[in-house]
Amino acid sequence: MKAPAPTIKAHRDPLVGETPPAPHERFDDEMVMDLERDQFVAETSRPVARASLSARATSALWALRVFVVLVSLMVIYTFVHQLR
Amino acid sequence: MASTEAAAAPGLALPPLTEEDLARSHDRSRVHHARRHRKRWYLLWLLVGPGILAMLGENDGPSMIAYASDGAQYGLGFFVPFIPVLFAMAYICQEMCMRVGAVTHRGYGELVLQRYGRVWGWFGAGDLTLTNLVTLVAEFVSIRVGLAYFHLGSGVAVVLGLALVAFTLSGGRYWRWERIVLGLALFNGLFLLAAILVKPDVGGIVGALDFTPFPGGSFNTLLLLLASTIGATVTPWMIFFQQSASADKGMTPSDVAHGRYDTAAGAVLAAIFGIGALVAGAALLTHNGSGIQGFAGAGFPEALKRVAGGAAGTVFALGLIEAGAVAILTISASTAYAAGECVGVSHSFNSSPGNAYVFYAANAGVALVAAVVILIPGAPLLSIALNANVLATVLLPVSLVFMVMLANDEGLMGRWVNKRSTNAIGIAVIAFVGLCGASYGIDSFLLSVHLIS
Repeated sequence: MKAPAPTIKAHRDPLVGETPPAPHERFDDEMVMDLERDQFVAETSRPVARASLSARATSALWALRVFVVLVSLMVIYTFVHQLR
Repeated sequence: MASTEAAAAPGLALPPLTEEDLARSHDRSRVHHARRHRKRWYLLWLLVGPGILAMLGENDGPSMIAYASDGAQYGLGFFVPFIPVLFAMAYICQEMCMRVGAVTHRGYGELVLQRYGRVWGWFGAGDLTLTNLVTLVAEFVSIRVGLAYFHLGSGVAVVLGLALVAFTLSGGRYWRWERIVLGLALFNGLFLLAAILVKPDVGGIVGALDFTPFPGGSFNTLLLLLASTIGATVTPWMIFFQQSASADKGMTPSDVAHGRYDTAAGAVLAAIFGIGALVAGAALLTHNGSGIQGFAGAGFPEALKRVAGGAAGTVFALGLIEAGAVAILTISASTAYAAGECVGVSHSFNSSPGNAYVFYAANAGVALVAAVVILIPGAPLLSIALNANVLATVLLPVSLVFMVMLANDEGLMGRWVNKRSTNAIGIAVIAFVGLCGASYGIDSFLLSVHLIS
């Protein structure tokens, strides 16, 4: 949800408003200064770039995945077998 | 790579703010204040959490029953040094999770999905959901076993577990959730108290540090022991949980050192408490594991009561309730993080249920499904509990491989990439876990279909 709080620029720009911000807004501004820019939800919502895996790496990952699925099925089969 | 510069230089417009940003920035302001004023212990207090929770969360019901069962059937030899070795392995894996979370501010699920493709992301989430569901059933079983000692039934276990989930989710703040679960997790020390109450031979514990005697029995039994004990220390949910929780907590590269202290403290505490359960279980060794045979661990508190007195039985039963309760909270949270990350919607304790409905629904939903399973009459609950760790061990290597890949990704991690030594140990851990899990799975299957005897 986008909060109605104004941006830091609006508060810090000396040309904007001579009235000091409301106490709760000021509080939020100072708090937000403690976040790194790439910590904001707006930043973390942007997907990171896709990595390009080599054909060998992709094949190895698929081999591992198939192997793990097969072994998992064996474990599940054994589990069901032991219940009988 | 994440910037280590302060977010908002004067005059620089900030992105649109969310309630999650405001809540997280509130926590970060306290961290910065403590750092500026060199309040070292307060800073440590503020930054500990995800590491201890991941490690003590993994000292869950099935794990503690597995340790106690090892002690009751094989004694202290081999396991006293083996448990710390396994937690050292867990530290290597979890430190990577913490570091990647602190540097990228993103969870494991979303990074795998975005960096390596949806197929790998959803495979990981599928593995996690399967193992988490099975493990959560085992956690409710653990609570039920503990409550049975006090003559309370399954219904109370379900109400207790679900009430805890609802209570911890109700605050709308990561900090509140973390501190409540951290407070509960410290009661994992009950297993150490149980070990003291059985009046163990300290010389015997020290003497067991040389890995002898090696457990006897068949090859398959040995593989089961290894697979279930490994599954009691490193599991897929821990990887998802610690990375996502580190990001949700708002950790940054400047907090990595404290994240390491947190993870190391968790590993040390978990190893000590795990050995506590082993020592308590070993009190039954001279009684041929009486009380556990045929009831697969469910009778531990009662058996301890007969052998070491009512106090030991009571403390062990309370420990099982605590272990199950904490694991329900952390494992449900890991499922919720994974669900939110893979769907691509808000996934934070700092968001309200209205804004992060997938996160909250997955958190409560997975606990609810597991709770329903233990109410099914005749469900093979104890078999599920005993196999939960093995399944986690079998599925773990894939999660670990992606973890090592992320921790070596210079595009994401910059100068925080793994050192060569970390990679060497990490790869050795993956090979060891994979070998043990696969060997047990294949050997058990061949035995089941009578291809070997």
